[in-house]
Amino acid sequence: MPAQLIAGNSAVIIGAMYAGCDCFFGYPITPASEILHEASKYFPMVGRKFVQAESEEAAINMVYGAASTGHRVLTASSGPGMSLKQEGITYIAGAELPCVIVDINRAGPGLGNIGPEQSDYNQVVKGGGNGCYNNLVLAPNSVQEMCDLTMKAFDLAFKYRNPVVILADGVLGHMVEALKFPDEAYTPSIDTTWAVCGNHETRPNLVTSIELDFSKMEKHNFKLQDKYQKIRENEVQFETYMIGDAEIVLVSFGISSRIAKSVVDAARKEGLKVGLFRPITLFPFPSKELKALADTGCKFISIEMNNGMMREDIRLATGCANVDLVCRYGGRLIELEDIMKKIKEVA
Amino acid sequence: MIQEQSLFAPGHRACAGCSMPTVVRLVLDATGPNVIVVSPTGCLEVTSTPFPESAWKVPWLHSLFENAAAVASGVETILKRQCKDTKVLVIGGDGSTFDIGMGSNSGMFERGHDIMYVCYDNEAYMNTGVQRSGSTPFCVHTTTTPSGEQSLGNPKPKKDMPAIAIAHHVPYVATASVAFPVDLRRKVKRAAELRGTSYLQINAPCITGWTFETGSTIEISRLAVETGLYPLFEFVNGKLADVKKIRPRPVTDYLKAQGRYRHLFKAPGGKEAIAAIQAIADENIANYGLAQE
Repeated sequence: MPAQLIAGNSAVIIGAMYAGCDCFFGYPITPASEILHEASKYFPMVGRKFVQAESEEAAINMVYGAASTGHRVLTASSGPGMSLKQEGITYIAGAELPCVIVDINRAGPGLGNIGPEQSDYNQVVKGGGNGCYNNLVLAPNSVQEMCDLTMKAFDLAFKYRNPVVILADGVLGHMVEALKFPDEAYTPSIDTTWAVCGNHETRPNLVTSIELDFSKMEKHNFKLQDKYQKIRENEVQFETYMIGDAEIVLVSFGISSRIAKSVVDAARKEGLKVGLFRPITLFPFPSKELKALADTGCKFISIEMNNGMMREDIRLATGCANVDLVCRYGGRLIELEDIMKKIKEVA
Repeated sequence: MIQEQSLFAPGHRACAGCSMPTVVRLVLDATGPNVIVVSPTGCLEVTSTPFPESAWKVPWLHSLFENAAAVASGVETILKRQCKDTKVLVIGGDGSTFDIGMGSNSGMFERGHDIMYVCYDNEAYMNTGVQRSGSTPFCVHTTTTPSGEQSLGNPKPKKDMPAIAIAHHVPYVATASVAFPVDLRRKVKRAAELRGTSYLQINAPCITGWTFETGSTIEISRLAVETGLYPLFEFVNGKLADVKKIRPRPVTDYLKAQGRYRHLFKAPGGKEAIAAIQAIADENIANYGLAQE
C-alpha cells in the first residue's frame, strides 16, 4: 500500500478501522472533532456503527456499554471533554473492560483554548477518576504513529482488559504527513470468557465495578495492581536518539519530542553531547531504562508542554532531584532556542 | 429598532452576517442593564469574550457546555439571599440547551428559579464545526450527518425543546425569530417581568453552517417562520396564548435558499424528503393554527 498525505485525526480512524473497531461514540470538541467527522463518514460505509452522543459523559458510557459485549470500541475527545469522561473511565477500569480513548490535548485549565498542550498528562497517566487504577497511555509523535499506535492500543486494551488512552495534542491531530497504510485489516473474534453477549454461554459473566464486601473489594484491587505490575514489566516502549555518549539527555514525548530531536541535531553540530530519550508509553513509564541512563552520570532535561508533570516521573525514576525543565503551556509550542539555551546552561 | 447605545458592544468577532449578535442586542435592549448574563461555551462566548476583550456591558459569566443553568441557579440564589431584583439571564446555543445541558436545564426548570433562559437556535454545533445537535432539523447536512449516496443528511426531526420546558410547568415558554424584532422584544419584556423561569427559543440563522449569502440572514429566518417550519408562539402556564399568523409559503422557498439542504434537490429520494419536510410544516400550521384567516 503506497503512502498517502493525511491529517493525524484522520489517521486515528484509519488505524481504528484496520484494527477492527466496531463502534465509535463521540461528542464534538475542537481540536478532536475531525475524528468524529471521519468516523461518521467512513464507519457506516463498512457496516460499523457511529453514534454522536449528547454529551461527553454519554459518549464514554456508551463505550462502557458497548465494550461489555467484547467488541472493539473507540471514543475521542480533548481536555475539558476528558475531564467530563473521568467518571466513565474509572468505571471501565474498575469493571476491567477494553476500550480506546483518544485525547487530542488542548490548552487549559478550564475552557483554556484550542492550542496544543500536554497538560492532560496527570489526568490521563495518573488516573483522573476515583480509585486506584491506571490507564495504559500511548504517546504518538507522528501521523504514522497516530494510526499505528491506535491499532496497538486495541491489542493492549484486550490483552489486559483495560482502557488505553492515546495522548496526542492539537498539532498531531491537525498536522498532515505521509501515512503508510497498515498491511492488513483485522477481524477480531469476541472473547466470550468474560464478555456479556446475551446468550446462554456468557450468562455467568458479570461486568461490574461495585463490590460492597470490603474484603472482596480489597481482593479485586490487589488483582488490578497485579495487572498494572505485569503491564509495567512487559509493555514499556520508548525510543532513543544519540544517547550512546550523551552527557545531556532530553526527555520528551509526543509533539515536543519532534522539536527536541531537531535540538539534538543542532547541539551535536556545535559539539555538544546531547541525546533524546522519548517515552512512547507514559504508563507504563520507562523508569528502569531512565535509571540505567542516570547511572551513566548524564544530566536530564525534561521537555514538555505543561508545567513539568513528566519531570516528576523522571525524578522518581532516576532519583535525580535536579532534573531540568524546558516547558511551555497555554497553547504555544516550545522554541528550539529555549531548549538550546538551557542545554548550554546545564553543559 | 436597535438602540444606539447597546449593552452588547460592536467589535466582537462573530462572522459577518451572523444573526447571534443581533439576537443578543435585541434581548439586552429589552431587558435593560439590571441583568447578569451566564453563557455556556459556544459561538457567543468565543466571539464575544476572547480574553482580555469583552463585548458585554453587563455582568457576564462563562460556564462549560453543560452547566449554564446550574451556574445561573447559583447566581439567582445568592441574589435572592441579598434581596436584589437583578434578573439572571442565560444566553446559550442549541447544543448546550438541547443536548449536554439538558440535565441542568431540567433542574432549573423544575426548581423554578427566577431565570430567563434564551436559546439562540442555529440548529447545530457551529462553534466546533457544524456537527448535528438535537435541534438540527430533518434532512440537514452537517459534518456528522453528511449527505451522500447512502444518506440524505440528519435522519431525525428537530427535538421539541419548548414542549420539554412546558412539561416542567415553566410558566412562560415562547419562540421568536431574529426576523421579527418587535415580536422578539415584546416576548423578552414579558419574560423579564415574570417572576419565575422562562424559556425563549430564538431562530438564529448561521451563514457558515446553513450556507447562504451574508446579506440574507434576516430573509432566511423570515422564511423559516413563513413556511411554518419555525412556528412563533407563546405558552403561558402551559396554555397556547398567542401565535404569529402567517400566509404559508412552500417549504422549497426556504430549503433552496440554503446550502445545508442543497442535496435534496439532486439526490434520489430528495423529492420525497422535501415532501416530508412540507408535511412537518403543514402539521405545525394545523397544530398551532398559524394560517392567517
